[in-house]
Amino acid sequence: MQSLNRIAYISIFTAGAISLFVVESLIPQPIPGMRLGLANIFILLVLLTFGFREALLVGILKSVVGSLIIARLLTPSFLFSISGTIMSIIVMALAVKYLKSVSLVGISILGAETHTFTQILIAAFLFFGKASFVYLLVPFVLLSLITGSITGMFTYWLYERTEGKIEFAKAP
Amino acid sequence: MRKKSRYRPLKIGDFGIILFFLSALFFLPRIEGRKVRITVDKGKEYIYSLTEDRVLLVRGQIGVTKVVIKDGRVRVLEAPCPLKLCRQKGWIKKKGDQIICIPNGILIRIEGERFDAITE
Repeated sequence: MQSLNRIAYISIFTAGAISLFVVESLIPQPIPGMRLGLANIFILLVLLTFGFREALLVGILKSVVGSLIIARLLTPSFLFSISGTIMSIIVMALAVKYLKSVSLVGISILGAETHTFTQILIAAFLFFGKASFVYLLVPFVLLSLITGSITGMFTYWLYERTEGKIEFAKAP
Repeated sequence: MRKKSRYRPLKIGDFGIILFFLSALFFLPRIEGRKVRITVDKGKEYIYSLTEDRVLLVRGQIGVTKVVIKDGRVRVLEAPCPLKLCRQKGWIKKKGDQIICIPNGILIRIEGERFDAITE
C-alpha cells in the first residue's frame, strides 16, 4: 500500500514537472538557451518530500519524456537538459543535507547555477570551442541567479502547503 | 499558527550564495570593440572602423583634437583643452570604453556587438 502511494505521488510530481517543462518550451526565449527552469520546482519538491533517488527519477523522466513531447529527444538541447538536471539534483541534494543555514531560495539558486554551469561546460567543449566558455558563463550565471531565486520562491510557496501532508507516502 | 520551516526564504546562507554568484559581475567579459563613435557637440556623429589605422582631426568648440586609431585602439594625441585629461586617458579598445573632453565637447566611444562568442 505504501509503495503504491509512493508511485502515485511520484507520478503526479513527474507529470507536473513534465507539463511545466513543455509549457515553458512554448515561451519564446529572449536569449537562446535561456529558460526559467520551472520544472525545477517539482524536482526540488520531490527532493524535499521523498529523497534523492526519487528526485533523480523524476528529473530523468522529465528530461526524457519532456524532450520526447517537444520533439527534441537526442538533440543537443536534450543533452544539455538531462546532464544539467542530473548535476543540479546532485548539488541540491548535497545542499539540503549539509547546508543548514540556507533556505529554499538558496538551494534553488545553487541548482539553477549548477544546471547552467553543466550546460555551458558541455556546450563550450562539444560545440562552440573552449574560448567561448567564459564569454557564455558569466552572463548566464547572472541570469540563473534571477531565475533560480524566482523558482525558489515558487517552491517554498508550494512546499509550505504540502509539507507534512504527504508524509505517509515516505519510503519505508 | 504556521510553524516555522527550516526552508523559510532568505536566511543568512542565502546571502552568501547570492553574493558568491553576484561576484560574477566582476568577470563580465569585455568585448573587443569594432567601431569608434565620435560625437561632437551632441549633434554631429562620426563612426570609424577600428580595423583601419588613421589619424583624425576633430574640430570641437575650442579647437582641433587629434585622434589616432591604430591596431584596434584609439587615443587622443593632441588636445586644445587646458587640463589634457583626454590625453592622459591613453589607449582605449574595449566595448564601452570612452574618452570625454568636456571643454572641446567631444565624446569618443568604442562600440561592438555583444554576443560574438555565440554567433561564431
